[in-house]
Amino acid sequence: MNTNANADAGDDGPTAEDRDEIPPAPTGFLRRWVFSTDHKVIGRQFLFLGLGFLAIGGVMAMLIRWQLARPGAPVPLVGRLLFGASGGVISPVAYTALFTMHGTIMIFFAVTPVLIGGFGNFLLPLLIGARDMAFPRLNMASFWIMFAATAVLTASFFVPLGPPEAGWTAYATLSTAIGAPGPGQTLWVVAIYLNGASSVMGAVNYITTVLRMRAPGMTYLRMPLTVWGFFLTSILNALFVPVLAAAMVLLFFDRVLGTQFFIAGTTPGAGGDPILYQHLFWLFGHPEVYILILPAWGIVGDLLSFFARKPLFGYRVTVGALIGVVILSTVVYGHHMFTTGLSPLLGESFMLLTMIISVPTSLIVLSWLGTLWRGAIRLQTPMLFCLGLVFTFGVGGLTGLYLADITADMYLHDTYFVVGHFHLIMAAALLMSLFAAIYFWFPKMFGRMMSEGLGKLHFWLTFVPLNLVFMGQLVIGYEGMQRRLYDPSVYDFLKPLLPLNRGISHAAYLLGAAQLIFVVNFFASLARGARAEMNPWEVGTLEWTVASPPPHHNFDRIPLVVRGPHELAHPAARSLGRDWLGQAEIVDDAPAASPTPPAREPA
Amino acid sequence: MTATSATTTTTTTTTTTTTSRRRETDAQVGLVIFLGATAMLFAALLLAYAIIRAQVPGAWPPAGTPPFPRGAAAANTIALVAASLALRRGRHWGPWAALGFGAAFLAAQAALWHHLVAIHLGPGAGPLGEVFFALSALHALHVLGGLIALALAGPRRLRLLTIYWDFVLVVWLVVYVAVCLL
Amino acid sequence: MHIELPRDASLDGHLVDGAIGYLTLTTGIAFALALAFLASALVLHRARAGRTRGHHTHGNRKRDRALMFSVALVMFVAIDVTLALRATRDLEERFWRYPAADSTALRVEVTARQWAWSFRTAGPDGRFGTADDVVTLNELDVPIGRPIYLKLRSRDVVHSLYLPSFRTKIDAIPGMTTRLWFQATTPGRYEIACAQHCGVNHYKMRGLLDARTESDYREWLARAEIDSRLRDDPAAPSAPGGWDWETGENGK
Repeated sequence: MNTNANADAGDDGPTAEDRDEIPPAPTGFLRRWVFSTDHKVIGRQFLFLGLGFLAIGGVMAMLIRWQLARPGAPVPLVGRLLFGASGGVISPVAYTALFTMHGTIMIFFAVTPVLIGGFGNFLLPLLIGARDMAFPRLNMASFWIMFAATAVLTASFFVPLGPPEAGWTAYATLSTAIGAPGPGQTLWVVAIYLNGASSVMGAVNYITTVLRMRAPGMTYLRMPLTVWGFFLTSILNALFVPVLAAAMVLLFFDRVLGTQFFIAGTTPGAGGDPILYQHLFWLFGHPEVYILILPAWGIVGDLLSFFARKPLFGYRVTVGALIGVVILSTVVYGHHMFTTGLSPLLGESFMLLTMIISVPTSLIVLSWLGTLWRGAIRLQTPMLFCLGLVFTFGVGGLTGLYLADITADMYLHDTYFVVGHFHLIMAAALLMSLFAAIYFWFPKMFGRMMSEGLGKLHFWLTFVPLNLVFMGQLVIGYEGMQRRLYDPSVYDFLKPLLPLNRGISHAAYLLGAAQLIFVVNFFASLARGARAEMNPWEVGTLEWTVASPPPHHNFDRIPLVVRGPHELAHPAARSLGRDWLGQAEIVDDAPAASPTPPAREPA
Repeated sequence: MTATSATTTTTTTTTTTTTSRRRETDAQVGLVIFLGATAMLFAALLLAYAIIRAQVPGAWPPAGTPPFPRGAAAANTIALVAASLALRRGRHWGPWAALGFGAAFLAAQAALWHHLVAIHLGPGAGPLGEVFFALSALHALHVLGGLIALALAGPRRLRLLTIYWDFVLVVWLVVYVAVCLL
Repeated sequence: MHIELPRDASLDGHLVDGAIGYLTLTTGIAFALALAFLASALVLHRARAGRTRGHHTHGNRKRDRALMFSVALVMFVAIDVTLALRATRDLEERFWRYPAADSTALRVEVTARQWAWSFRTAGPDGRFGTADDVVTLNELDVPIGRPIYLKLRSRDVVHSLYLPSFRTKIDAIPGMTTRLWFQATTPGRYEIACAQHCGVNHYKMRGLLDARTESDYREWLARAEIDSRLRDDPAAPSAPGGWDWETGENGK
């Protein structure tokens, strides 16, 4: 196979993909930057949209923390502006809206667009050696539908009876006319539906692209783990976002047409079923956790290998584990519903299935640890964030076991322990992977390097407070504090937790402030960063074989892939004076016959 | 691999054909994935229906529900079947006939909904009518999407549209059997 | 700083605390080991002069795989399987074994609504939904030393009855009857909380559980019964209605 490929590359005969005409780059401003069909532009559009909402969701988190640190005290600086009617104090209504929108924005409108929309779009074609996505126009539509969704969501703030207040999970019947009569919740439903439509369109595109557009020689087991992450995520998206859409359709009917799918009658058995909503929501909601974490795992797997200067340890096992997680993730959602009085059989099955997920998950973590061992680890900024993910994901993953155990969950369910647990995964680990990705691919995206010094400062000022915040949440949850409380001091047993809550809030402010370093670094580097070379990190995946930023058509000539993505420390590279081999690089694969003394290499 | 070596020496014309054929396959793969996602949407709604139905005490439909006008709903099926068949009748009039049949289906569904509301099988009048409304409304939206696609790209995308319209027909048959007959 | 669980006043709460303690111990050990490995890799195998290239292995050898799978399996058995077995035992022998046939158990019907709890115990006639029921708002009085068997319903949205000092909670869901049992061991006043977001005043949905000695409880019951008769007009539509304990039929 290998020799065959080499022989093919030897002559100059064009490959299958190459006979495509190179599409001309669009010239008009609108076509180039607004209604672009170029995956790199769409990826950047998603990135900026998502980062904008990340900032908004972050400010909301700060306001929530303010209320928990000083219940009922007026918010400084912006209080009069945001909460003028209550004299700058966050009212219970405003607080409820804040945590509802914080969750909604962070999950659906920040992390999803940045990670999947942004990096998925930018990276997939480049990493598999394609000129664009399979359906460029569908790609464009996907972005603009997401944009429409954000507009609808924003509109929900400004309607009579106020913004949605049913939590990001929008449990029926609180989210039906019984608990939320205003149009705000209806707009929320529409925004989530549109968001889902955008995700499904993206998923169709990503799956088709990976199935059909890989460069010659790019077999499934030569794909970077990042591609595997986005590919598997897209499969979960295509299968389970529609289930959320179904819940939204029924909720919409209940709210607008007066049906009773989720509204129970006065006697048990009559009318609809509020638990039906929870089934549908979590049937989507649990895969959603993996929808977000799979790309992060992929990115971190690749980057750990790149910066440890060593192939990923157990690539095949990892791919198998990722697939195992995808399959298991579809049959564990019931652990979100242990306190709804599930039948014992269902409860125990969900507990056991949930626990089985820890097997593939620990295989993935072991692969990371194995990759680091005997490497030549370079602690550059992206690597620091990857190591940060290993840490936060470890704590987040292990605390999940407490909640999988039904007996412990009886006590911990709906407490801050849950909040801490899922923030360690969905916020901490995802932010770590997100920043790792930004620092790593920024040179490729924008053609300039980000500042290493500011990057490292940003890492430490993010990593430390981040863990203080979310581990602090674990602690107050362990001590019994429920989620979504406007004022915990209503409860005597929570009064002693106020100093701890204050401490968490202070760590959160620090965390928020530290992001300004990132903002400065991002924009300053965009304007004045050092010009990025083609391959500043010295790694072998395909995106580093094209200019930074890549030309409109990505590849002048579609590459012929001859090896996997992690060929670092390869013996055959010694003769080239480096320690890595490109995926499409033709060299004599056999190790040097004569035992040459190890040449001095640039660090 | 064989395709590659075979076409190395051929002319630009055949190259373009290969490219467009590959594009066609891409589009079919994408469509099948999209229809898989859509199938999950309807499957989730049917699951909701099964759960609601399982929880109603006593017989289904609940006592006091008026009989469902099965005949009228069955008659509407004819329009969808005709649309699917028309698409197999070539590029010239197939798409336009399918457009007509599809529009007729929507009109007939609208009339059926009107009738259902009149005989107290509409939203707010018990689970049977509500389930039918939710499923058939969402289905109608997909029919509408199919009509728009026919109007915009009918003759050019005949194979894709045939797959899509067959899917819409199958979904309708499943909905009809599950809600109206069972 | 003192990190501790709320005071345990229940018969079976130690089972929950035990599970949590076992988890903290085992996951703590696993995490510490992983961290130690990570730290030593970072110290030993950092790039520096004389260490510019890593070791070339894909970790795909049988030996590597066997190592990965055995570590994963050891963790799975030591933590997950042990816990699952333990939880299943505790659930089936204690938490899910409802005192339905236990005539000494105190039966209470709980009705949740935005944003209050009402607790109803059958009066001397032993039947629910009759005029001699004892109904209290946001206050649950129970005797120590015998099982307390709750059935819950909700009038509007999903609530969750949370008893931190008894290490348990259960949702109250419109259209459903859920149940929960526990047994108090230490007299005292404990807080009842709502754990499920139920609207703007969710944070105010607080109640008190008063665990009393048997004689104390009987005294209270006699007083409360008179109070209830004076206060609640069973015909008033606002009266939190009970239901027939066995059949689930709504009371008047």
